[in-house]
Amino acid sequence: MSHPDGALVVEGLHVGYGEAQVLFDVHLAVPRGRLAACVGRNGAGKTTLLRTIAGFLRPRAGSVRYGSVDLVGRKPYEVARMGIRYVQQDKRVFADLTVRENLRLASYATGDWDWDVVFKYFPRLKGLLDRKGGYLSGGERQMLMIGRALLGRPKVLLIDEPTEGLAPAVVEQLGRVFEELKGQATLLMVEQNLPLVGRVADVVYAVKEGRVVAEITDPDAIRSGAVEAYL
Amino acid sequence: MDAHLWISGVVYGLSMGSIFFLLAAGLSLCFGLMRIISLDQLLYYSLGAYVAYQVNVSTGLTWPAMLCGALAAGALSWVVERWVFDRIYAREITFTMITSFGILVAGVGAIKYVWGLVPRPMGIPVEAQVALLGVNVPVYRIIVIGIAGAVYGAIQWLLNRTIVGTAIRAAVEDVDQVEGLGVDVYRLFTGTFVGAGVLSGLAGALHGPLVMVDPQMGLEVVPFVFMVVIIGGLGSLKGTLVSAFLVGQVVSLGSLVYAPLAQMAPFAAMLLILLWKPTGLYGSALLRR
Repeated sequence: MSHPDGALVVEGLHVGYGEAQVLFDVHLAVPRGRLAACVGRNGAGKTTLLRTIAGFLRPRAGSVRYGSVDLVGRKPYEVARMGIRYVQQDKRVFADLTVRENLRLASYATGDWDWDVVFKYFPRLKGLLDRKGGYLSGGERQMLMIGRALLGRPKVLLIDEPTEGLAPAVVEQLGRVFEELKGQATLLMVEQNLPLVGRVADVVYAVKEGRVVAEITDPDAIRSGAVEAYL
Repeated sequence: MDAHLWISGVVYGLSMGSIFFLLAAGLSLCFGLMRIISLDQLLYYSLGAYVAYQVNVSTGLTWPAMLCGALAAGALSWVVERWVFDRIYAREITFTMITSFGILVAGVGAIKYVWGLVPRPMGIPVEAQVALLGVNVPVYRIIVIGIAGAVYGAIQWLLNRTIVGTAIRAAVEDVDQVEGLGVDVYRLFTGTFVGAGVLSGLAGALHGPLVMVDPQMGLEVVPFVFMVVIIGGLGSLKGTLVSAFLVGQVVSLGSLVYAPLAQMAPFAAMLLILLWKPTGLYGSALLRR
């Protein structure tokens, strides 16, 4: 199957931990510059899907391709250096490092020391440069995690539950950021906040018990929250 | 008791603590970053002492011999990391610990094969003594304490003032996150492991003139190094320094009070500290595998 450059394509993916299989024959395709959302209940396998694409898990079968490049078997840092960045869930920033050190580390890895792009989307971080990650609020941590991922002009952003536990105002701000990022990068987001998904997603994949049970591309159906019927 | 004896005992304890620190610092960093218990560091300690002894006997030079000992230990640790640990980092911590113990035992066997079973005396580079509060103290012991202090400062500088150090501190918190940013954590692992090997070799080389160089010397310090790492808190460099000096003093001063205390008192101190702080003096309860 051929795909346009910059598309993220997953085909026939089977993934498990030990003897327990978590993903079964997962297929999805995110066109370049579009935002796809994976929705589903806890334990459906959404995070496993992102971790596999990011190189942290090796699939038992199937392929993960970015453009013409196969990502399977590559180490996570190699995937990240290709411009495919994974923003993990639980707002895991380095608690003992300052915001400045967090950004320096991302710059060191990517070679991009221009932090304007971070401050463009998250100006609040500029005033927090000397604060340790452990003392940031949940929203600030999420901004820092996405900000770090933006350094080095990422081609793909894999974002795991970015709005979980955040105040509505922060969710609103993140929603605006995601809308702006579309077109500049390909986004695959795991999200349980269906109103946000309805607002920003171009395609929605409903995941249930390790399988993609629905692919919704109709904008009206996405906006109306029709995906809820598949959960 | 005679105050002169106490002063001498404190200096003796500090120098012994310095050796413990150099040895335990690498072990602690390896656990903090890679979550492995690298008992093979004690092999690099023995090798450092033997290579220093051999070069010293061959050339008559002591300081360069010690440098050779540290570098030889670093070279062996690089080989072990590339050929063994790189393949088993993902395994359970007990697996890596047993593997490292196997390497230690095999290495000690190799040392016995090459140098024999008889302990060897190593020349001391500085035989002068200096008066400290009216007590003559060997200058070499003070130099050992100074080297340990300089190594501590250098490691702190590396960790807090350089980008590689920032990456190491971050990886101690969460390796996955660091790798997800695009950092090749395996290079960090290799660098840290070899650095630990060099420190262990340096500890052996510096300890050589204070004790007889002996095939069993690595195995003999196992309990003390474990105590230092556990009392200080796994993965904490500051804790390792404080704990090393504490254990050194307990051994040294304990033996002045009652000779058998030298062996027993550190264990009692460890138990009391762990009852008070189960994570050790500076250990973090948040460290996770």
